[in-house]
Amino acid sequence: MINRREFLGKTAGAIAAASTLSSAGALSAFGESRPVPPSDQINLGIIGPGSRGQTDMRAFLRVPGVRIAAMCDVYEPRFDQVRKITGEQTPAFKDYRQLLDFKGLDAVIVASPPCFHEEHVIATVQSGHHVYAEKDMALTVEACDRVVAAVKRSGKHYQYGTQYHYAPWYQEALRRIHSGKLGQVTHIYAYWHRNASWRRPVPDPKTPELEKLINWRLYKECSGGLLAELGTHEANFVNYAFDAMPESVIGMGDIVYWKDGREVPDNVQAIFRYPGGRTFSFSSITTNRFEGEQIRVYGTGGTIVLTQAGGMAYYEPAVAGSAVPEAVIVEHGVTTGASFAAEVPYAGAGETLIVPDGLEGNVNYLAVSSFIDCVRNNKRPSADERAGWNSGVTIALGNLAISSGQRVNFADHIKQQAS
Amino acid sequence: MFSQARPAMGTTFTIFVYAANQEQASEYFEIAFDEIERVEEALSDYRPTSELSRINRLAANETVTTDPEVFKFLQTSMDFSRRSGGAFDITVGPLMRAWGFFRGRGHYPTPEELSNARKSTGWQHVHLDPEKRTVHFDMQGMSLDPGGIGKGYVVECVANLLREAGVKTALIDAGSSTIYAMGAPPGKDGWTIQVPRPGDRAHSISTVVLRDTSLSTSGNYEKFFTLNGKIYCHIMDPRTGEPVQGTVQTTVITPNATDSDALSLIMFVMGPEKSEKLLDAIPGTSGMWVLGEPNKSNVIQWHWPGTSTTSSINLAQQNLQIVIMEEAQQ
Repeated sequence: MINRREFLGKTAGAIAAASTLSSAGALSAFGESRPVPPSDQINLGIIGPGSRGQTDMRAFLRVPGVRIAAMCDVYEPRFDQVRKITGEQTPAFKDYRQLLDFKGLDAVIVASPPCFHEEHVIATVQSGHHVYAEKDMALTVEACDRVVAAVKRSGKHYQYGTQYHYAPWYQEALRRIHSGKLGQVTHIYAYWHRNASWRRPVPDPKTPELEKLINWRLYKECSGGLLAELGTHEANFVNYAFDAMPESVIGMGDIVYWKDGREVPDNVQAIFRYPGGRTFSFSSITTNRFEGEQIRVYGTGGTIVLTQAGGMAYYEPAVAGSAVPEAVIVEHGVTTGASFAAEVPYAGAGETLIVPDGLEGNVNYLAVSSFIDCVRNNKRPSADERAGWNSGVTIALGNLAISSGQRVNFADHIKQQAS
Repeated sequence: MFSQARPAMGTTFTIFVYAANQEQASEYFEIAFDEIERVEEALSDYRPTSELSRINRLAANETVTTDPEVFKFLQTSMDFSRRSGGAFDITVGPLMRAWGFFRGRGHYPTPEELSNARKSTGWQHVHLDPEKRTVHFDMQGMSLDPGGIGKGYVVECVANLLREAGVKTALIDAGSSTIYAMGAPPGKDGWTIQVPRPGDRAHSISTVVLRDTSLSTSGNYEKFFTLNGKIYCHIMDPRTGEPVQGTVQTTVITPNATDSDALSLIMFVMGPEKSEKLLDAIPGTSGMWVLGEPNKSNVIQWHWPGTSTTSSINLAQQNLQIVIMEEAQQ
């Protein structure tokens, strides 16, 4: 009997070659050369282990047989932070090409700022590594196209770092939406509301360079702002829920409160139009956290509310026959509030979206353990480059609408579909 | 000085920090509360999505790999269990449930509930493999409850993070049960902290000045129920499976916040004589016990600031109208 590793060693190359040939691109010069390690251990490298990258690392280290074998960052204080997390003297590089040359890596986590995603992801797959790529895929449509083309050519796996894609309650919501339990879903509203500056402390000496390195989220050079950093999660879900890409988008964003030298809006609102006139409205503000983070899916038969902690379904009362006839109210001699009952916010009980046994868990863990399973067993990630492209392009054009003040038609910008 | 309070870990965390301006303080608050959230998402036994809940669900059926930080936290917890002979034990989860202190104010368990809970408790049944970073329970029904050490660990993490971010002077307070005092406010020797009179935060039984050290207090008045005139508090003696009797409040000062959280609990369970050796092993440690019952207590201090070695004080002398019923034990 051969073990899983030997089996993979014999077949992985063939499968990768087949998938490469089925795409239009040429074979990568490096794609097939890297041997599968003899043990069951998966060695990961990480490019850009900042706060998000460190969260990814912790989650990866909870998966059996995973080691963070090397890291790369231009900001040296990260080296000690990472070593504290890995518990070992993890080799460190300041140039990502050195990391990609490091022997024995099976896959690489790209968690650098989004303006570098295109460069880092393409180099990673071209050097023969699978990639767990933080969102967004890239900040422009053209860059997203180039990433997808490179991933396809390489035959390597790309998993898009949108962890809620792997949340069991999100998946249950999609099942209910697609099975028609919510009737016709016409609108989705999503909020990501915070009451915080989104700014990280910059240690002394506070040079402008260090400020941009630490607070890259606040500067246009490297950041797609709130729509990219937060709205990506929602856009990914909505594209699946509507099973489509948007047709057009309008948006607004401004700096209304945090006038601290930042360049990206401190609040954004965007409305995406999907085929058939369905809409997805997204709002992110940084001055009030009443709404928190939530997605509200509105169908003719009910509502699903998704949060970071779970999901609830609320089914509409049967519309026909449920209204109190006006005659009844008049009969009692008073005009009560009953005639307005349908117009006040729903306050009834909902149904918790049950998470199946064995699937409970932290979404970061679920996402990264799924990636490791894909690497070990040569499976295609669920949140693959198509999901990444769909979501990346949705956000890139949403940001174009916000910055231009114009309605943006997707057909004017999309030359290639990801799939 | 700026301060901000937010709910976390079933209590209120308050952070006081000296910063150049409100903007800088806000940045510190953000990373501090993000860190609290990060650790809570790893170690909470109330959240089904936490890493600890994942371990609780799986570890009886398989060996569960966890990350170095959570593994080290479990090692620290087991180390306190070993050193305290089981007076400290994070496997008390089933006992807390049986006595109704998990999501509740407590109730007397049925004999069956109690017997089942006792059978599912015991730190010796947790097996940690440092080579593979795995956790395994050798029996079913076990559940790790970080209640006696988790808040202290969070305080330690926040203190380290703020220090790394360049903060020199701050106070991190986890619901007044564990406090870490970093540096000293301008012109002061340290942060002035009052140890509360049991169950009465408006009055204190001691005032101490702390600098770069931590203070924790455990009290039987935080969560309890009364039955036939007897108080059953939420602090378990894992060795007997029953709430500790005869201790009202314990307070410890020790440099590390994780240690201080665990030690105040160990002191509560073991009493003054038996915990002295453990406290003595950690330099810079002082302890104080309030023993008896809330309205007839005596106070024992061990290496307490401003006192020589062990002493006892009469709470009545502080106009607290508490009658001393017995002499100090040492």
